[in-house]
Amino acid sequence: MLSVGVKPSTRSAFMLTLKRDLLIAFKRKNDIVNPFMFFVIVISLFPLAISPEGERLTEIAAGVIWIAVLLSAMLSMDSLYRGDFEDGSLEILLLSPHPLFFLVLAKNIAHWLVSGLPVVIASPLLAYMLKLPSESYATLMLTLLIGTPTLSLIGSIAVALTVGLGSRGLILAVITLPFSVPVLIFGTLAVQASASGLPSGGYLTLLLALLAGSLSLAPLTSAAALRISVS
Amino acid sequence: MWLWFAKLGSPKWFYELSTKWLPWLVVATVLVIGTATVWALLFLPPDYQQGYTSRILVVHVAVAGTSLAFFPLMAVAGTITLVWKMKLADMVAKNAAALGAWFSFITLATGSIWGSVSWGTWWEWSDSRLVSMLFQFFLLLGVVSLRSALEDTDKAAKACALLSIVGCINVVIIKYSVEWWNTLHQPASPVSLQSGSANGPEFWIATALMILGVYLFLSVSLILSTRNEILQRERRALWVKEMIAAER
Repeated sequence: MLSVGVKPSTRSAFMLTLKRDLLIAFKRKNDIVNPFMFFVIVISLFPLAISPEGERLTEIAAGVIWIAVLLSAMLSMDSLYRGDFEDGSLEILLLSPHPLFFLVLAKNIAHWLVSGLPVVIASPLLAYMLKLPSESYATLMLTLLIGTPTLSLIGSIAVALTVGLGSRGLILAVITLPFSVPVLIFGTLAVQASASGLPSGGYLTLLLALLAGSLSLAPLTSAAALRISVS
Repeated sequence: MWLWFAKLGSPKWFYELSTKWLPWLVVATVLVIGTATVWALLFLPPDYQQGYTSRILVVHVAVAGTSLAFFPLMAVAGTITLVWKMKLADMVAKNAAALGAWFSFITLATGSIWGSVSWGTWWEWSDSRLVSMLFQFFLLLGVVSLRSALEDTDKAAKACALLSIVGCINVVIIKYSVEWWNTLHQPASPVSLQSGSANGPEFWIATALMILGVYLFLSVSLILSTRNEILQRERRALWVKEMIAAER
């Protein structure tokens, strides 16, 4: 792919990492499809368990969708660095002369494109099934569009910290879930506000602030965590 | 200054110094907590609204205030571990996580007991402090479980240091985000000189004494567990072997 002795620019390294991860994701479709199926199935369990009545569902819709997003994001995060750790390419990534910040960011973006984006796109359909008022669809999609990358970025830290562990499904949950509380709060508050006809702009800006903060700090922390785990 | 700092990182120096200090600290802790408890339970005048239940607040406020110190403590210790690779800082941080989880738990428990009488409910989701304390409890448990999952001591030290720093920031964000709900918990009462109310002089002096006592207790238990940790990790060091041989 690269000729020896020529140092490509960080920008091209970023793009190459992104392309590589997308390619791997499409070759290993299970890693993408299963968390997505999990997301859909969890949501369809709620009406069965709670009540098929429209009014009840409308009340819980935002929360149910957001919790399902959180859980499926956590499941899909598991594969973020695992494959690379197992075949050793993570070490090559760490040895590269480019800032690890951008390489980690590229991996996170690739991961979000295949795991977060499908959830955002499918959300109106699931919102319809949960009888969310149609005025809130746009807000729901917007909160998910801002919230899911934040979740990926935050989750990446915990995944990077535990990448060397054999069985880590549960510890990942214990670490990541409390961290996702602010995103969950603002996401559901925004949708609930719009469902009751109130402006949701304030919550969206707070979500954007969380995204901006984690976009600048989380890859840095993930990079540090990867260096700790692979040493 | 730097010599002192470097010395502080030496487990042996800490162990010897703490051997000298520990008895005094224990005595001070017992005295302060004993005085504060007796005062709070027997002599504190009942609040004109809350009655005798206000007495549990002395313990609750003290433990709650102290439990907020753990994440900053662990973040500072973590920074020291990451920057200066000081072993002692990590030994303190390791025990601080578990201890902090206990403090958070006691805060939640005493708060619930008080709330069951004063608010008429053991738990209230719409209150921001309850919820953020609960999540601080979860975050601390997360640090504990990460520590126990990683077998390599050095790796666990660095990983937990990083998680503590991130967690410290996150506790603040969670606290503010949770405050978007209507809050049942009263804001901290301003200090008042009027006696007979729950924020009268008797009350806040007893509370201040209890806070001091809880901090003393915190340092005693941290020192004790750190000493344990030192013996465990330095068991192959010469000075530990010599000390144990001398005790036999």
